[in-house]
Amino acid sequence: MSGEKWEPKIVVFACNWCSYAGMDLAGTSRKKYPPNPRVIRVMCSSRVSPEMVIKALADGADGVLITGCHPGDCHYVTGNYQTMKRYHLLKKMLDELGFGDRVRLEWISASEADKYVKVITEFVEHIRKLGPIRFREEVVGSP
Amino acid sequence: MSKAEEEKREEVRIGVYVCHCGINIAGVVDVKAVAEYAKTLPNVVVARDYVFMCSAPGQEMIKKDIKEHKLNRVVVAACSPAMHEPTFRAVVEEAGLNPYLFEMANIREHCSWVHPDVKEVATEKAKDIVRRAVAKVTYLEPLERIRGKVVKSVLVIGGGVAGMRAALDLAARGFDVHLIERRPTLGGYAARIGYLDFNMRGADLVKKLIEEISKSPRIKVYTNAELVALEGSVGDFVAKVRRKPRFVSDACNACGECAKVCPVEVPNEYEFGLVNRKAIYLPFDYAYPRIYVIDPEACNKCGKCVEVCKPKAINLEEKEEEIEISVGAVVVAAGYRHYEPKEGELGYKKSKRVITLFQLQRLLAEDGPTKGELVIDGVRPKSIAFVSCVGSMSTTPEAATYCSRMCCSSALKDILRIKERYPDIDIYYIYKDLRTYGRDEDLYWKSIEKMVRFLRYEETPTVTPEDGGVTIELFETTVQERIRLTVDAVVLVNGMAPPEGIEELSGILKVGRGPDGFFKEAHLKLRPVEALTDGIFLAGAVTGPKNIIESVTAGSAAAAKAAALVSKDYVEVEPITSAVNEEICSGCGMCASVCPYDAISIEVKEGRRVAKVNELLCKGCGACAATCPSGAMQQRHFTDTQLRAEITALAKGVIP
Repeated sequence: MSGEKWEPKIVVFACNWCSYAGMDLAGTSRKKYPPNPRVIRVMCSSRVSPEMVIKALADGADGVLITGCHPGDCHYVTGNYQTMKRYHLLKKMLDELGFGDRVRLEWISASEADKYVKVITEFVEHIRKLGPIRFREEVVGSP
Repeated sequence: MSKAEEEKREEVRIGVYVCHCGINIAGVVDVKAVAEYAKTLPNVVVARDYVFMCSAPGQEMIKKDIKEHKLNRVVVAACSPAMHEPTFRAVVEEAGLNPYLFEMANIREHCSWVHPDVKEVATEKAKDIVRRAVAKVTYLEPLERIRGKVVKSVLVIGGGVAGMRAALDLAARGFDVHLIERRPTLGGYAARIGYLDFNMRGADLVKKLIEEISKSPRIKVYTNAELVALEGSVGDFVAKVRRKPRFVSDACNACGECAKVCPVEVPNEYEFGLVNRKAIYLPFDYAYPRIYVIDPEACNKCGKCVEVCKPKAINLEEKEEEIEISVGAVVVAAGYRHYEPKEGELGYKKSKRVITLFQLQRLLAEDGPTKGELVIDGVRPKSIAFVSCVGSMSTTPEAATYCSRMCCSSALKDILRIKERYPDIDIYYIYKDLRTYGRDEDLYWKSIEKMVRFLRYEETPTVTPEDGGVTIELFETTVQERIRLTVDAVVLVNGMAPPEGIEELSGILKVGRGPDGFFKEAHLKLRPVEALTDGIFLAGAVTGPKNIIESVTAGSAAAAKAAALVSKDYVEVEPITSAVNEEICSGCGMCASVCPYDAISIEVKEGRRVAKVNELLCKGCGACAATCPSGAMQQRHFTDTQLRAEITALAKGVIP
């Protein structure tokens, strides 16, 4: 990153029915937001395994946002409850490792373009404040 | 990477097509730079940009390239997949490729439209998005759409006006219909409404529908019957229906001798508790089937009815039975339940002078307990106050937040009828909000002409029964004054609530409910009367408060959609379902426990427990794949390999 200004790299997992559609709506309504998010579409947020979140961080993402339908509104009846359960466990583990602050779960419906804009804008600023992930090897060199 | 994998990878030939979308994308993103960048990505054989990829020349360009460059994967960088994924899947299929070897890169909704001020950054972002799509398409696998058979008959749940309308429409199209009703008779609420408008009685409408149904050889009616399970999936369901015992066979000639000797009396639900009925009873005169029924909760099995029954139709030992019905589609017309005010809520049940709108409609009916005479608590009232929005619009803590939609019009229609028959009765209409929408606005103006006095409240009025009358106190918001009035009777204009048993039905059908408790349609404007579960259609008030006109319209609509489904030769299901690698699967069953559709079962195969997916039940959410501890369970089109490739492409910036 030498010389170049660092920009937070955000990987967003979006469920097809609510959140991805909400992001599409932000586009069709020409709402502006920071260009940092990179979206991966899944059919349901319950497809996002903890391993996928960890992989994103390990591969270089500075923050990961998981988005799904509101509780009670899931296209797959109970999918987002699985997401919620898994997220809280994952969050506990990531807190221990010092990454907990870089992963977030948000419910965004197909009509909540404004909410997505608000969430992503805040999250990008939040990650910007945290700065890039620096692994031990980068700071003190390999043992 | 193994040698086999390397060879497989070498065979991948990708074409990338970057759309300008006029200036929608090209006005922000440097599309030529994106296409040039795409050419540098592994396995990309050709990359082009074009003004409108979705236009005929754009589509031809892709087809030509597939043939000339022997492409076996295609990426279109354009709009949202919600917009044109089906279009381009069809294009690659026409060119001989498997339609699932295609991926869309959304550089419009997710890029150019939201970052118009930062063109260079947007161009870099578009490159990232294309890289992600190329990574995914590299690892995509051809898929075949799953085909299932279609049973040419339909189950209709609910014998009210919406269900009967749906059944008749389906039968008219030549399909067999199984109509189940949990009560002992068809008719639903409409049968109990004195007058629907000035000319038509609820009884007239219901009699007409029942007459048509009884003549239709295609409709089989099951009363006293409830759905207990629904197995299978779209096009091929098996409904398990429990037929509760009626204790009276169709030998019954409805002579009524049994009821005369029956010693047990309970409130008559068909008269909303205004009068009692016996434990053996006929719901109402034109009930269908016109057979007496025993209420098992009230009956004391004294056997007096058996003794007097000449046709020997009564059997007190009758047991319930469960039957299985094969159908291709299900129409759910389970209706609603009237909002029953709590004891003491606005004076209800504290005095016989406080009745509900539903009870009033029975008093106005010729076949009602007073033969159509307006007699409340033994007297003909000289003044009546109607209090509206009971059970709706957050009037009381127990009330729903929604407007029940039909009550204002329904109450004013009854008020005009009362005014016509008894011009001397003073009528007050105390409302929170008056919603006589559409043509019913006429009812409001006619009521004003008839000197009905309208009073508006915000704060819920107090209703206090007194000797020989009822006192109401309210703060009237138009004149800004506290008003106290004493009337002979009060009618609580009560609204609609989700039907009894909707919780269980929701679980059986796997159809979700909204925050108000009613069933939810897939999309109110794009997919009306469809449930999110394929093959299930929703008609009438089960999706929220509706009047009779709206309910029968929805019944016809649901019938049309169900007919469109069962007239197909086969159903196709998106093959993005889950599949298990039996060699790795340990049969732990975690996948089955998270499946919202019970699509996964654990079976023993060659002495080992392994998961098995029913592909027609699987809707492709992928919860099982994310839960599987060994990676044995994979969701097609969203496999671990494919999703990891996307993650690496975005986070690391390279295609694995």
